[in-house]
Amino acid sequence: MSNTVIIWVVLPLALGLALILLQKVPRLSAVLASLIPLVLAILALIFSNGLTLELLGRRFILAESLTVFGRTIEITADQLRIIALLYTLCFFWNLLGRLFKVSQWFDSLSLVITSLWVSVHFINPFLYAAVIIELIALISVPLLSPRGTPAKAGVIRFLSMQTIAMPLILLSGWMVAGIETSPSAQDLILRGALLVLTGFILWAGVFPLHSWLPMLTEESHPWTISFLLTIMQISIALFFLKFLNQYAWLRNIKDLDQVIKWVGALCVLSAGVIAIFQQNLSRVLGYLYLAESGYMILSIASLQQGGLELFTLSLLPRAFAFWSLGLALSTLRQGMDADQFDFSALSGLVWRYPRISVLLLASMLNIIGLPLFALFPLKRIIWGMLAGEGLLLQLFGSLGLLGMIILFLRLLGVIISPSESAMQAEQENPILIVPVLLTMLTMVLACIFPQIFSAPVRELLVFFQNLLP
Amino acid sequence: MTEVFQSLPIYIALMAGLLNLVRRQWSLNLIALVVQFICLFPILWAALPLQLALIQPFTGLMVTLILYLTLLNVGEVEPINLKPRPTSGEVFRALAGIFLIATLGTFVPQIKTAIFPSIPLNHLFLSLGLVLIGILQLGTIREPLYLAIGMLTFLSGFELLYIALEFSFLLAALFVAVNLLLAIVGSFFIIKNVESEIE
Repeated sequence: MSNTVIIWVVLPLALGLALILLQKVPRLSAVLASLIPLVLAILALIFSNGLTLELLGRRFILAESLTVFGRTIEITADQLRIIALLYTLCFFWNLLGRLFKVSQWFDSLSLVITSLWVSVHFINPFLYAAVIIELIALISVPLLSPRGTPAKAGVIRFLSMQTIAMPLILLSGWMVAGIETSPSAQDLILRGALLVLTGFILWAGVFPLHSWLPMLTEESHPWTISFLLTIMQISIALFFLKFLNQYAWLRNIKDLDQVIKWVGALCVLSAGVIAIFQQNLSRVLGYLYLAESGYMILSIASLQQGGLELFTLSLLPRAFAFWSLGLALSTLRQGMDADQFDFSALSGLVWRYPRISVLLLASMLNIIGLPLFALFPLKRIIWGMLAGEGLLLQLFGSLGLLGMIILFLRLLGVIISPSESAMQAEQENPILIVPVLLTMLTMVLACIFPQIFSAPVRELLVFFQNLLP
Repeated sequence: MTEVFQSLPIYIALMAGLLNLVRRQWSLNLIALVVQFICLFPILWAALPLQLALIQPFTGLMVTLILYLTLLNVGEVEPINLKPRPTSGEVFRALAGIFLIATLGTFVPQIKTAIFPSIPLNHLFLSLGLVLIGILQLGTIREPLYLAIGMLTFLSGFELLYIALEFSFLLAALFVAVNLLLAIVGSFFIIKNVESEIE
């Protein structure tokens, strides 16, 4: 057991699979599915300052690596903060998972998926992680495709995109092997970069290959999909940073930061503009993920201007924003007993579900990045960076933001519009006021005191030495 | 003559891939899938020791068995009808597939010279051919079984290509896991579709 890989990869994987056997005891399964990631996250934080721990006169020393089929998986002490972050996400989603009618596989597979995402960051050679990401996509299918409905287009497209992305990443590594010793091979570098960027665009659902994102959010339960997409978005962004950190040929490509900036700005623009015309709130969730991918990409593109710190500091507020939106949508879905959130069905919602409506609107404002909410301080910096760029980039960023604000106003109009349903009595449990108030308070406090979210992750990416300005 | 025998499995595998792309008869498709995986063996054996060359075809057989048993359980296995009139969709897919393979056949020597100089021509032709057929399959269908077959075809082509570039036991194990999970996902989709039709 005295090995980091066994504790944070093998053990949770095995426990996740064991939880499948506990499906007939859902409460126990839910409790374990929450406790296990919490304990793993706490342990990761404890050992993040060194792999030696003295407790009650005994000394615990953890080994850093494990060899599997001749290859190593290595987790050092300073990398344990990433693991703590991933298991914290898993904990917060599993904590409330049982309250909603999510897939019966959620408890076990969420743990398996988190442990696989952990292994993605630490497998050597790191390109093999591409195959693990494909495994994660396949394992996610029972969560994405609810029972009693046929396989829909979104999940099929998602699988196809993830499958096509994997070879591109694997081939890129082979193609540029030894490039460090022959820096004049410009064609090879460009070919490798094209493969890497296309692979990541397919994986993360970045514009213009994002069509599966809104389809998937429309088809799946909001709690499940918010977990899967949040952990995927963070992990893929970290994996991309690993590429940049590892490959000098990639990060030294002339104007690569400009290309990435344009990709990010296009994501923000397309998400904002398309979201205005949506009639379904579940699809809007997909466009919000697209916009946030855009903001993440914009911070990665600004590595020389402190973008890495900005990226790091935005991880927790962004995850919290999606957690709260997932909570609002899932509670609403439970209350309305409906699979879909067409805007027409949301008319007069605030009269029937006042607390959840307020949480929904606050979560939207938080993700959009308006003042008084957790993401505002970070979005403000990104908007400031965009203001220093060319006119077109500024325009893209502004239009994207404007689109999101219009979407919010549309939603607000629908929710508060008096209709026949507005005459109906309030249908939600008054006790909901407690989680709603706590969530909103956290959003506001995190804006006034950003260190609430920034302090735990400040040294998250210190080992990306090559990316520091 | 020897050259013909060496090339025979390549053409049979590509024909099987094309058959899966064109025809929509589940029993026939599963047989074609088995043939496709078995025909990979001679190519793999030329690049790897016998034990390692057996991994991919053997995984393919297991994958097909999983899909076959699923179809059998849901009662979807029908007798093979070899002479139904081709639909316009089938004609389109056949022409598109043949066009792709012919184009690939024309350009594969240049691709070899420019990108994959270390891979034998036959090996490269078969692997890229399967990748292209798989992508075409993924782009033209929505039925779960054909999605699974399309992804398996695509992956088998890519695995074949990558094995010629670099062999790793860990990667081989991961690919086996991906193939088996893919078959399970395909089965999951097939069962879901049948369940939702009944409801």
